[in-house]
Amino acid sequence: MEGLLFNVNNGYIEGVVRGYRNGLLTGNNYNNLIQCETIDDLKLQLGPAYGDFLASLPPNPSTSTLAAKTTDKLISEFRYVRANAVGSLAKFMDYLTYGYMIDNVALLITGTLHERDTRELLERCHPLGWFETMPVLCVATNIEELYNSVLIETPLAPYFKGSLSHQDLDELNIEIVRNTLYKNYLEDFHSFVNNDSEMAGTPTAEVMTEILEFEADRRAINITLNSFGTELSKTERKKLYPSFGRLYPEGSFMLSRADDIEGVRLAVEGVNDYKTYFDQAGMGQSSTGAGNMSGGVGGDGKSLEDLFYQKEMEISKGAFTRQFTFAIVYAWVKLREQEIRNITWIAECIAQNQKERIGNYISVF
Amino acid sequence: MSGATNREAVFPTRQSLGLMKTKLKGAQTGHDLLKRKSEALTKRFREITRRIDEAKRKMGRVMQIAAFSLAEVTYAVGGDIGYQVQESAKSARFRLRTKQENVSGVFLPAFESYTTDGNNDFGLTGLGKGGQQVQRCRETYARAVETLVELASLQTAFVILDEVIKVVNRRVNAIEHVIIPRTENTIKYINSELDELDREEFFRLKKVQGKKQRDTAKQDAEMKARREKAEKAGKAEDDKENSGGGDILGEQDDTDVIF
Repeated sequence: MEGLLFNVNNGYIEGVVRGYRNGLLTGNNYNNLIQCETIDDLKLQLGPAYGDFLASLPPNPSTSTLAAKTTDKLISEFRYVRANAVGSLAKFMDYLTYGYMIDNVALLITGTLHERDTRELLERCHPLGWFETMPVLCVATNIEELYNSVLIETPLAPYFKGSLSHQDLDELNIEIVRNTLYKNYLEDFHSFVNNDSEMAGTPTAEVMTEILEFEADRRAINITLNSFGTELSKTERKKLYPSFGRLYPEGSFMLSRADDIEGVRLAVEGVNDYKTYFDQAGMGQSSTGAGNMSGGVGGDGKSLEDLFYQKEMEISKGAFTRQFTFAIVYAWVKLREQEIRNITWIAECIAQNQKERIGNYISVF
Repeated sequence: MSGATNREAVFPTRQSLGLMKTKLKGAQTGHDLLKRKSEALTKRFREITRRIDEAKRKMGRVMQIAAFSLAEVTYAVGGDIGYQVQESAKSARFRLRTKQENVSGVFLPAFESYTTDGNNDFGLTGLGKGGQQVQRCRETYARAVETLVELASLQTAFVILDEVIKVVNRRVNAIEHVIIPRTENTIKYINSELDELDREEFFRLKKVQGKKQRDTAKQDAEMKARREKAEKAGKAEDDKENSGGGDILGEQDDTDVIF
């Protein structure tokens, strides 16, 4: 039914995005990339996919400039799609950028708190999270002014309102602020895809719910794991868990009471996928703390975060099997981001001569 | 005399000879001591060089691991956390203490690192994702800085020891090749001058003795001649006296007349 009128407004976009998806690097490309001896070779191998964007790079560029250039391509493509989007899709894509906006605003808050010149920070902001009124935020000199201008000028106002006051910005750790905002954002996004008249009941709602639920669970688990040994109290932690997702509500409740990795494992027991990840990552059995990418020293098994990324990519790939859905835009952005991370990782491994870990990238095509 | 230029300007007296001898003795003792010091320092110096070599190799490895763990953070967090970390770090967690170590009278600074507990300014960085990588990266870099500190204290010791060894060796060589030979030369010079004086004195005495002998011989001869002459004259008188009567008014003892 939804297919009847979808193409009237969104057919072009869907076609374009599917085209972009085909431009993503495949396993074969990655195999070529990891054979490279120098960054220049890598650049050459990336030529067909990134062409113009890498052309201006000097010989043997640093990995960060390489990452910046590859991100530029994503940005320009995203802007093109956004410019052609109308109606709910336009709104959907705006929602997509809010996540990056949160990061940018958090950056500006940090800058203002420490009384830095926030104008310099604008360059560091993620271009996807750019909004027209962002420079206005830099006028603020103290945190209260900033808070007010964020409320007025940015689309993030609903996320601040009700859960954070300007005193909170001063007192709470910026990470808590960021995660509170992100939680509100995820909840809002979730209700948007499920309640918007154009999206409710369509494949978009289905796929996006799956993606967002996964994202919510991943954040909840990560926050719990990362909060061990920090000053974050259990009640504060509980506030950061999004109120939906496959773990919600029992799993979230158990997560909020978890004291160690074993506790987290018990909490996710109810969801088979996560349970398998925990077993694969070898966490829980030996509660010797910390199990993510074992910091530079060996570690052949995949870490929990790797597995989460893998899962995210699989969901995103799966989104393309559906037609007439906005979710492919989201999936494409995520896939492209992962691709950039992969390229950066491979470049980093080549630059630092650490070839044994080079296969740690995630490729789903 | 060749040593004339290479000696101290002293009068060749017995007193200065004594002084010179004490000086020579002092110089030799000093030379021995300095030589020993220099050897001790050199031994230490070699050890430090070896340790620097080790520390540098270790630093290479550790820095590589650290840089790589940063790459992991970039991968896991998927963004730039540098600014946030910079801004949230308020007080130093990794601190240094300096100590002094005494090696054969040379003070070598030694840096000792320690971490302040419970100071975790950016413990929450990457809470949403990658937090553990951030923490691990921090630990790796803390280890890297530790290695750097160790290396720094070794390098400082290296530079200072190098300087001191140079000074000590210069002194040893100065004593060995300048002061001792010069003092010895001076002693030789004084000795030879004194000998010369002795010989002069001896010769003079001999001369005096010879003259005295000559004088006595002459006197003897005169006396002898005179005696001979007198003898001759005496014989003649004797003959005369012996022929005359006794001396009445002589002083020969008379027996006292006792009434």
